[in-house]
Amino acid sequence: MDVKAQVSMVFHLDKCIGCHTCSVACKNIWTDRPGAEYMWWNNVETKPGTGYPTRWEDQEHYKGGWRVDEHGGGDRDLELRCQSKADSFLKLFYNPNQPGLQDYYEPWTYTYQDLFDAPQGDDQPTALPVSQITGQPMDIKAGPNWDDDLSGSPIYAENDINLDELTDEERAQMFEIERMSMFYLPRICNHCANPSCVASCPSGALYKRGEDGVVLIDQEKCRGWRACVAACPYKKIYFNWKTGKSEKCILCYPRLETGQAPACFHSCVGRIRYLGVLLYDADRVADAMKVPDRALVESQRSVLLDPHDPEVISAALANGISEGFLEAAQDSPVWDYVMRWKLALPLHIEYRTMPMLFYVPPLLPVLGKGENGVFENTAGGLFGTLDKSRMPIKYMARLFSAGNVDVVNASLRKLLAVRFHKRAQQLGDIPADEVRRVMHEAGLDEEAAEAIYRLTALPTQEDRYVLPPLQREEAVAGTCNPELCKGSCGLGFSQKPKRGA
Amino acid sequence: MLNALLFVGLPYVAIFVCIAGSIYRFHSNRFSYSALSSQFLENKKLLWGSVPWHIGLGILFVLHLLPVLMPGPWAVLVANTVALWTIEIVGLAAAILALGGLGLLIFRRLVNPYVQAISTSMDFVVLALFLGQIILGIVTALSFRWGARWAPGTTTPYLWSLLTLQPDPSYVADMPVVIKMHITGAWLIVLAIPFSRLVHVFSLPFEYLFRRPQKVVWNNPRRSQARAAEVPVVEERRLFLRGFAGLAAGGALLSVGVLDKLVRFYRGPSLSPAEEAELMERNVKKLQMTLQEREFELERMRQDYILVARLSELDARRGKYFIDYQMRPALAYLGEDGLPLFISAKCTHLGCTVQSDMNAEGKILCPCHVSYFDVKTGEPTPGSPALTPLPHIGWVVMDDKDQVIASKWPGKAVVGKVPAESKASCRVFIAKEHGETA
Ligand code: SF4
Ligand code: SF4
Ligand code: FES
Repeated sequence: MDVKAQVSMVFHLDKCIGCHTCSVACKNIWTDRPGAEYMWWNNVETKPGTGYPTRWEDQEHYKGGWRVDEHGGGDRDLELRCQSKADSFLKLFYNPNQPGLQDYYEPWTYTYQDLFDAPQGDDQPTALPVSQITGQPMDIKAGPNWDDDLSGSPIYAENDINLDELTDEERAQMFEIERMSMFYLPRICNHCANPSCVASCPSGALYKRGEDGVVLIDQEKCRGWRACVAACPYKKIYFNWKTGKSEKCILCYPRLETGQAPACFHSCVGRIRYLGVLLYDADRVADAMKVPDRALVESQRSVLLDPHDPEVISAALANGISEGFLEAAQDSPVWDYVMRWKLALPLHIEYRTMPMLFYVPPLLPVLGKGENGVFENTAGGLFGTLDKSRMPIKYMARLFSAGNVDVVNASLRKLLAVRFHKRAQQLGDIPADEVRRVMHEAGLDEEAAEAIYRLTALPTQEDRYVLPPLQREEAVAGTCNPELCKGSCGLGFSQKPKRGA
Repeated sequence: MLNALLFVGLPYVAIFVCIAGSIYRFHSNRFSYSALSSQFLENKKLLWGSVPWHIGLGILFVLHLLPVLMPGPWAVLVANTVALWTIEIVGLAAAILALGGLGLLIFRRLVNPYVQAISTSMDFVVLALFLGQIILGIVTALSFRWGARWAPGTTTPYLWSLLTLQPDPSYVADMPVVIKMHITGAWLIVLAIPFSRLVHVFSLPFEYLFRRPQKVVWNNPRRSQARAAEVPVVEERRLFLRGFAGLAAGGALLSVGVLDKLVRFYRGPSLSPAEEAELMERNVKKLQMTLQEREFELERMRQDYILVARLSELDARRGKYFIDYQMRPALAYLGEDGLPLFISAKCTHLGCTVQSDMNAEGKILCPCHVSYFDVKTGEPTPGSPALTPLPHIGWVVMDDKDQVIASKWPGKAVVGKVPAESKASCRVFIAKEHGETA
């Protein structure tokens, strides 16, 4: 058993209001630089929708993540979908799977100075859009969230690849006026436990930090071969066209190291984000990701280790995980959502990178059924059954459980039971045995329902972000004398990205 | 002087600057140590530019490297006509592939505004250098045929003379101008490496072939303290520093050596009295030997006939070397008429010995500066450095009773006949009476 700790995340999708505050917070801190204008390390997509970059989920096209290679005799091996060791050399010169600028969007600004400099005249001066790459005036054709709130559905939402398995009838229903529904999907790097980006990097510039599992790119080692851009199935690695290096979400590790939540977490308006430590058995990760699609969610759970188990604790200590880290793991809201209640699910686990960011699937679009244009407000109407949901469960399952409907259903049923429980408690308009039945079907007891309610609806900042002590001071002490290194820890790389040749 | 500058000074400067500069850049600006990919901004033309270019260039690189690394086996290989043709055709195809790709890359950089946004003037310098180089290479291959054959005798010893720090530009000094420009271009490209995107050739990720898929780095020493077996980051850094110091020291030593040789080459030799005495002694010995040799020669020249071979030993395509009355090399073939055909093997350019094997067109090659001569006429191929023909040499055929049965003066018709029954036993000589005309 090789116990590793991972700072992992839960996003509660029922709470996301799609305000993009997180994206802007991130942009202002990290990607407001030449070459990075088009990057959104944090982005918020509307589902159904094609996302950013367009149709990133289409792995037939982008070839991200792992695929299982079946050998004779039941042997299964994980192979990168985008390259093998041999052909990776040919792909150095041209990577057929790398998304281009047109797959994201061309970043632009406006000639604001014209507003001040324009000579006096009859017309209002205007600021023209200019490309941030060439500096030339341009036609704006698309942006990073052009499909926000289902705008342009015929081009975007209807081309969502996750709709592929729905029948034509189901699809038609989804886009019927008045029945249309949607939800928001905020995305950052998943800081996967089996990252295909790390495995693809020819220069060995990508690595996972041992202490907290944050996946980083060493900018001085990166030689701009772009293999990782193709290999990440979530398209969360971006190529900086100006510096010629790849960049990605760093989970604000300089903030983590000083006890602050990452900027997107800190700024989240809907308070949908939770951060905490998970322990997992690194020895079993690769094998766990070889099982058939249907079993993947359960297989990932089997790799996560109970931080209260004395055996796990001693193995963790022997592996150099500090007591402070273990305490954080025991208080982790992520453990509660993912393992105690089994509410939060990984996004597209069929890419087999074992993402460590989990989503509580949204119940909202499942409910709120209207009859004759009038929304029912009674318990019976509001809490209809899941089978009648507006957002087909099959669609949810494509996103959150590699197509396994039972897994998503189990999670949604619990969320529904909590609502029954609270409605009965506060308004008393649902019969007690009905509540008991729903709770029983979901496998929840009252105590758990209450705990879920508290962590979902009333959490303080300390409940949401249980940050482990990262012991940066120990790392500094290990590399050089604190007297000498005073004032120089934190961001390791502070050179100005200037290139001449 | 120009030759010394281009073929000794330039290469050493280029190699030194390339090694030292690349190490310095790696150390001082590791961030920039790559080719700045523009695929993100433009990828359609890049596909048809970059891929053919790199594949073509890779093949050309290997084909240029092999005769340098193993001149012996290479010479044996290209002696085979089929292998020779294959190599030349593959090389030419690779050059055309590379030229096409390069053309597209240049075009793309000139017209695409997105690619221009990240282009530097150095990018254009590099592109221009390569364009010139590939064109010169193609011209060389087409107009001075069988580079694969003449390279082992010219450019290979030249490169080895550089590598062994005994630079000898004479191997290439007399080559046609195009070839000299091609060689100079190569050194200019080497020189440009540390100043341009070309440094990426030193960052080819061979370690990827051997590493495990996942990579974990620990920042604090907790883990290594807990598991003594793990190598902490600190160690890695120290190892790297040590490795780098080793490299730098090696580089410094090498450059001192190179500089020293360079200075010596230009200042000429200077000897101590002891060395001078030793040298004199050696010279005297040599003179004595030469005297002996001269005596042998004189004796040889006093004979009326010198045996070359049995008639049956002669071959139509593979010549047999012999030494004529003037102690010059010559070749004996069997002519189409079944009679001997003797031709001088001393190149009329600078006197190298011409090779004995005819090619498919009945020509023999002087490997020193690539002159081809027609055996039948002795004429050099147009464009060869040699301008005058190789002279034919007279011969005499004697039967087993030492009777002259046939003879030929150079430029004259054959006198006498060789009857079929004596073909097996008769011998061929050169005759003194043919004398100076030979
Ligand atoms: S989501 Fe993050 S860790 Fe996972 S493969 Fe992509 S870049 Fe790597
Ligand atoms: S800030 Fe929070 S609520 Fe707003 S879009 Fe981002 S994740 Fe959703
Ligand atoms: S000696 Fe120069 S070509 Fe023969």
